[in-house]
Amino acid sequence: MTEPGSTVTTVPAGSETATGDQTAVPVPAASPPGTVTERANPLRDPRDRRLPRVPEPCALVVFGVTGDLARKKLLPAIYDLANRGLLPADFALLGFARRDWGDGDFAALAKKAAKTHARTQWNDDVWRRLNENLQFVPGSFDDDQAFDTLAEALDNLRNTHGIKGNAAFYLSIPPPMFPVVLKQMERTGMASNERSGGWRRVVVEKPFGHDLDSARELNELVDTVFTANDVFRIDHYLGKETVQNLMALRFANQLFEPIWNSHYVDSVQITMAEDVGIGGRAAFYDATGAARDVLQNHLLQLLALTAMEEPVEFAAEEIRTEKIKVLRAVSLPPDLDASAIRGQYDQGWLAGERAKAYRDEEDIPPDSKTETYAAVRLGVETRRWAGVPFYMRTGKRLPRRVTEIGILFKRAPHLPFSRTDTQELGHNQLVIRVQPDEGVTLKFGSKVPGSSMEVRDVAMDFLYGEAFTEASPEAYERLILDVLIGDATLFPRNDEVEASWKVIDPLEEFWAGKAPYLYRAGEWGPKEADEMLARDGREWRRP
Amino acid sequence: MTTLWDTTGTAVVKALAAERRTGGAVTSGNALTLVVIVDERDVHEAEDAATLAASKHPMRMLMVIRRHIDAPVPRLDAEVQMGGRLGPGESVVMRMHGRLALHAESVTLPLLAPDAPVVAWWHGAPPDRISYDPLGVFANRRITDVSRADDRVAALRQRAVDFAPGDTDLAWTRITGWRAALASAFDGWHEGAASAVVDGDDADPSAQLLAGWLSSRLGVYVPVNKTGGGAIDQVRITLIDGAVISANEDYGRLILHREGQQDSVAPFPERSLGELLAEELRRLDADRVFAEALGAVSSLTGLNDRPGQRVHIWKDPALADSPTAAAT
Repeated sequence: MTEPGSTVTTVPAGSETATGDQTAVPVPAASPPGTVTERANPLRDPRDRRLPRVPEPCALVVFGVTGDLARKKLLPAIYDLANRGLLPADFALLGFARRDWGDGDFAALAKKAAKTHARTQWNDDVWRRLNENLQFVPGSFDDDQAFDTLAEALDNLRNTHGIKGNAAFYLSIPPPMFPVVLKQMERTGMASNERSGGWRRVVVEKPFGHDLDSARELNELVDTVFTANDVFRIDHYLGKETVQNLMALRFANQLFEPIWNSHYVDSVQITMAEDVGIGGRAAFYDATGAARDVLQNHLLQLLALTAMEEPVEFAAEEIRTEKIKVLRAVSLPPDLDASAIRGQYDQGWLAGERAKAYRDEEDIPPDSKTETYAAVRLGVETRRWAGVPFYMRTGKRLPRRVTEIGILFKRAPHLPFSRTDTQELGHNQLVIRVQPDEGVTLKFGSKVPGSSMEVRDVAMDFLYGEAFTEASPEAYERLILDVLIGDATLFPRNDEVEASWKVIDPLEEFWAGKAPYLYRAGEWGPKEADEMLARDGREWRRP
Repeated sequence: MTTLWDTTGTAVVKALAAERRTGGAVTSGNALTLVVIVDERDVHEAEDAATLAASKHPMRMLMVIRRHIDAPVPRLDAEVQMGGRLGPGESVVMRMHGRLALHAESVTLPLLAPDAPVVAWWHGAPPDRISYDPLGVFANRRITDVSRADDRVAALRQRAVDFAPGDTDLAWTRITGWRAALASAFDGWHEGAASAVVDGDDADPSAQLLAGWLSSRLGVYVPVNKTGGGAIDQVRITLIDGAVISANEDYGRLILHREGQQDSVAPFPERSLGELLAEELRRLDADRVFAEALGAVSSLTGLNDRPGQRVHIWKDPALADSPTAAAT
């Protein structure tokens, strides 16, 4: 409100934006290091929040564009972005995959995918416009010719679309393919910022390796072909509105931060439960297991965001710096037998239907020792969190699909009520519901109406859909947009990935060769996991 | 739905509380209260727009219809409903007769959602001065629509004279699409502008505001040339190196032309009143860029420095047109 009066006709917008109140708006990271600092667009102003955050003219190249992820998530997300007017006027989408197709076949597949899975309303005009800028490049990944064609196609965009070299490459392909594709990009110079004259970025999906060594190898490869700053590792959980809200909740409010430490927090429970089985991913899943598939990335990222210190500034580098500090401080309990539980679902009933045992699923060896459930007690060795257990669990074929972070507070040190009055009183809790029913719940004791004093837990609810005005975008929409804009806030850095593997590797080593406990499909995990908390005098929250 | 004839404000408050209880939505949140000020003849249009906006913003909608200020006996009729015809939120439609219409705030104040921002929207010619209307004085955000005034150019100028931070006008909302397209066209050009011109209707407030915005951003004078087509037909910007960027509207499409590049064609549908209103409700803070554009149109400076709070000025329409400036 104290902004200097803006005179009307003579304002050079560049200086105006510098003095304007740019409080919450992160600086649009338009120019990555390496490009010449350019004159800011005079028509853009961080205070002008009606205008959407739109990337510079750019191309998006999707490898493996005919795959599942591309069809179900990427293409619909790109359509949704276009429909919301968030793509630049000059935008090209290039698909690369093995099939021998013409542009027309690809267009048909893309349209069908976008139409089936799009979040926003279907608008033929929007699609037609996107379609004009759609190209398919067929070829296998070891085909030099195909990559030369792709490089040429990218160069041509400069003339036809006014895209001055900016391109992002989305590797929607199995990790074993990464090296060959990256080598091809290196060979053709596609990955080079200097050669292209704009920015070149790469998007990598999890899994980022399967242990510390392989992750290091992969990081090294990607970081040398591109530069470390141009690598975007997608953890789609971080694209969720509620996860980002965790930072707003903690760092924009005075209310929570004073109690966000071991003086007041008894324990933290982070849960990611799925009701589905392994679907069609048998080969991948049996080689991976729940700990590598979910714990290593999603759950540890949620832990990092919950436990991290306040970043100096709400900017990508600062947030990642705080996250890496937490991840490096994560400790495993000395007695892994008692506090690292693996489970595997047995046959059972779920949501009124019979569910097969994991070992009976198609393409799973009948003696598989892969876990579909993992629960582990972690510690964070910092002054803030010393002594507070972080209970993490994830599993498949659990009763319902839910992801949440529960902060359980200590009981009041003294209760002036008689014991019988407060029998029903539990821990005060703050629960961040990541999905579904995105929101926050606060649980605390309240008097039951009546003539006697009786205190019981009640819940206070904040539901996103009710308090806010905009539907939350799909995580992929947000993340793709961030890649094109160059905002790395929501993407884990290479050392975060490595630090996470340092937590997981000893667990995997400990579990190797042991059989997981069985739990019935439709149960909240094996009873050993309940016993693990019971030994500490606690119990799992039922999410 | 509860309908109350010849009732009191207290009864309306009670009816709303009862509707909330029976609706089982005692805990449901309201992000804001929207106060709609409208004439009887435009009620349908305003209702449609508010219904669409309510589907995007959880809100309490209070519609105030002032009738027959000269009626001898004041009277209040109200219609209270939740999640019905007027969208998923809570709504109260109030018809105020006689002198009560001049004291509408006495009914609406106790109905505002606790501690939530209040937005006032005049669906009709904007008031000459917002401080004349107590409903505008206690609102945090005020939305007018100068395109509904008889003399739109004068009304736009009057908005600048009367401006306080927190005011916006739907004539500005209507050009967000144009502004986004032009800003996007400028991405990737690194030249300053030498001149710019808006072709359209020079009496159209949206065309004027677009020219005002361009001149406040580009630092050049931007005229509106009358071409006799629509409100805004074309915007042409000449850069210092002589290159020309132009944007044309063509039957629901926007064609962006830049020298040496393929034309880009984007769908450019006209947005409904409800969509415009929904865009306005998304931002509850003062729109400083609008203030600059409005300042450029009216050659007034320092609009953003004005106090955001207004003081009610009592103006009695019964006493001819000599307002006695005395705060109530």
